[in-house]
Amino acid sequence: MKVLVEEDHNIPSVALYFFFKVGSRNERPGATGLSHFFEHMMFNGAAKYGPKQFDQQMDRAGGSNNAYTSEDMTVYTDWFPSNSLELMMDMESDRIQHLAFDPKIIKSERGVVYSERRTSVDNSNRGLMQEQMQAAAYEAHPYHWPVVGWPSDIEAWTMDDLKQHFAMGYAPNNCVMVAVGDVKTDEVLRLAKKYMGPIPRHDPPPPVRTIEPKQTGERRAIVHKPAQLPLEMIAYHIPAAHDSSFPTIEVLRALLAQGQSSRLYRRLVDRDQLSIDANAFAQSNLDPGLFVISLQPRSGVETAQVEKAAFEEVEKLRSAPVSDAELQRAKNQLLADSFRQLQTIAGRANLIGRYEVLYGDYHKLSTRGEDIEAVTIADVQKAAAEYLNTDNRTVVTLVPEKKTGVSE
Amino acid sequence: MRTFVAILGLLSAASVNAQVKLPKYAHEVLANGVTVDLLPRGEFPLVNIEVLVKGGNEAEPLEQAGISDLTVQMLREGTAKRSADDFSDQLDALGGSWRAASTAQAARISAQFLSKDFDQGFDLVADALLHPSFPDGQLTKLRSRMVDQVRSEKDQAQQAISRYSNAFYFGSGHPYGRIADEATLGSLDRAKVADFYAHNYTGANIIVIVAGRFDENAAKAAIARTFGAIPAGQPFQWAADPATPTASGNRLLLIDKPDATQTYFTISMPGINRTNPDRSALWLVNTLFGGRFTSLLNDALRVNSGLTYGASSNYQQDKLTGALRISTYTKTDTTVQAIDMVLDVTKKLRETGVTPEQLASARATVEGTYPTRSLETPGELAGQLGDIELFGLNRGEVDDLFSSLDAVTVEKADAVIRKYLQPDGLTFTVLGNASRIREQVKKYAPAMVEVAVSQPGFMIR
Repeated sequence: MKVLVEEDHNIPSVALYFFFKVGSRNERPGATGLSHFFEHMMFNGAAKYGPKQFDQQMDRAGGSNNAYTSEDMTVYTDWFPSNSLELMMDMESDRIQHLAFDPKIIKSERGVVYSERRTSVDNSNRGLMQEQMQAAAYEAHPYHWPVVGWPSDIEAWTMDDLKQHFAMGYAPNNCVMVAVGDVKTDEVLRLAKKYMGPIPRHDPPPPVRTIEPKQTGERRAIVHKPAQLPLEMIAYHIPAAHDSSFPTIEVLRALLAQGQSSRLYRRLVDRDQLSIDANAFAQSNLDPGLFVISLQPRSGVETAQVEKAAFEEVEKLRSAPVSDAELQRAKNQLLADSFRQLQTIAGRANLIGRYEVLYGDYHKLSTRGEDIEAVTIADVQKAAAEYLNTDNRTVVTLVPEKKTGVSE
Repeated sequence: MRTFVAILGLLSAASVNAQVKLPKYAHEVLANGVTVDLLPRGEFPLVNIEVLVKGGNEAEPLEQAGISDLTVQMLREGTAKRSADDFSDQLDALGGSWRAASTAQAARISAQFLSKDFDQGFDLVADALLHPSFPDGQLTKLRSRMVDQVRSEKDQAQQAISRYSNAFYFGSGHPYGRIADEATLGSLDRAKVADFYAHNYTGANIIVIVAGRFDENAAKAAIARTFGAIPAGQPFQWAADPATPTASGNRLLLIDKPDATQTYFTISMPGINRTNPDRSALWLVNTLFGGRFTSLLNDALRVNSGLTYGASSNYQQDKLTGALRISTYTKTDTTVQAIDMVLDVTKKLRETGVTPEQLASARATVEGTYPTRSLETPGELAGQLGDIELFGLNRGEVDDLFSSLDAVTVEKADAVIRKYLQPDGLTFTVLGNASRIREQVKKYAPAMVEVAVSQPGFMIR
């Protein structure tokens, strides 16, 4: 297990993060959502600390915790007063090594996860759109299926599926531990050796061999659903987070949609009043991800009008160089944002781990400023031309249907 | 073994955590009434500039709900010396962040800049606050966008139910029950916004807070030169606390969303205001009841039964007495099972009260998580100062917090439970597929009100 520590004695608290390199990309059809379900099960009891004990001990120690699962990793996050470090290491090592699998708890937790899916996908227009977007943009690669899992798979996971997943993903050699805050590095290393050292290593998940074939033409997905307003998402395939072009892609994102001076805001939200908002997001993934533009058309505006204007703005980035001033503005926004994310011990622990696992090296966090500053006008135009093109794009629209008083 | 000993220690000790103090800050009231708080804190090259204008939503006339929000959002859309585009270009060139929103008691601008850009950043803040020109074109655009945002919230069940709950619980006669919608926003124009600004954005109502890394003398001089030079105006007159909405028996609002596969519901009852002496005890009680993952509500509805992804309770802390509210959701079929379970958990807590172990655990959670939740960043520190100024509190609110939590006894906690967790007079707000739950939820309140989610706005007129 790789251990990364940053001391910060500003407040008497610690952020302790565990990044397991296993996520929905390591799943298979029929057992989608298993990584996320497993993340839930990690709070349901192990050998020394039984059901509910992890959270109850955490409470008494003045700590709190959470966890998240992505396509690429499963991350466990603990925040607590610095005098509880040893308890946390003990509890984490217990569940990593000796998780319990109680059929009754599995049944109940399945209901919890289904409720989470109902909330974040089935009853969320944006969640549903995003699921459709991934499914349409990826035909072959596991990013095709949702992290939370398809409904039929949520209903079908078995005890054996869980045990196999545990054996595949959960060993210290498949994990990066990050501690930030009111700790002493020597003490963290001593406790890591004591509690994590004895846990046997085993084979990490098999490599994901499938490479998404190059997209050769625009794809579309349409969602019909009762809604007040339409939604529009436009996705382009981009390289993985560790790729040298990623800083340029971040600059592109800022140029398009960060702040009210950005191109999409100015054109679609302010000038033409076609959209309520204009957002863009570059997925920083282990395998090549998506660059996503998300828009909510104004009432009475067709999705076709919104996307036409958005495509025109994207085309301008491909056909003409940006000005020095505009490029510098985007860079300054990105740099200030990095500072913002580093303000808290939790923010730093998260970024250190993400850079180590997804970007390939935590040192890239400290060279981020230089990497962004190095992006040139030519880089921006070249990346826009290469990635933001028609054949590489997937468009998802939500078209409201008026439904009155009819139940499903 | 060591862990076990440590836990015993926790139970017997009064406080597990050393009290974290609010850092030293300079407080001054300028001749024109502007309140200034400067809190220099050195580690990180960021500075937060926050301006609060007293009044907020409470200053809105009923038929103008949304005017405080529209006014504060308009500040950057054109000033005496900058067009909206100039303003955005300059703000973004600094990498500055800008949030503008109206809360119950104050319109708030929260801006953050790199410390090296303090002068330019401060100039943007002062220009927006003191010299807005409210261009007609930008105002019309923003107003109609806000109307669409109201519509968009209807598509997000959790946001929508929170709006409906406030509208129904407080009613449109109460400032917290007035929710902006198509009708109220549609009536607003430049003259009304300019008038609202002229009345409220005056020296006597403005609080300027700077926190983070900055030069204290330079900030002081800049504030005196700008905010110090405006007219004092009339201090905002806070409304008296209206009688808490009381009803004999329960009330229920059912919002029909025919495509919902899940029912979202809240149960509201009278809570406290920001300065209520019960606030420390209620903080601990709410932590146990619905304020954390292991709380009684989440334990029953999520952990033990798998009915929901989350069940929680919270309470407002505003100038006027707010609501204490339970919120959760479950699949349509288990709506009644979940509501009954919430009522049962509440009833049991009233009957049994809390144990010393539970109380100690709640205290450990609140005290242990307090530093990272409330005192870590300049923005959080500015938030603490804003509360202190707005509600007439003092630094004891932070510095003596742990001793006030430690002073809460089991008897006090039990008394607070009986006082606030009411068995009847409850306000239910239920959003879901009405055709499948209408008959079942009637049992909670025979005089049930029903609306369609497609009906404009959130207020029941």
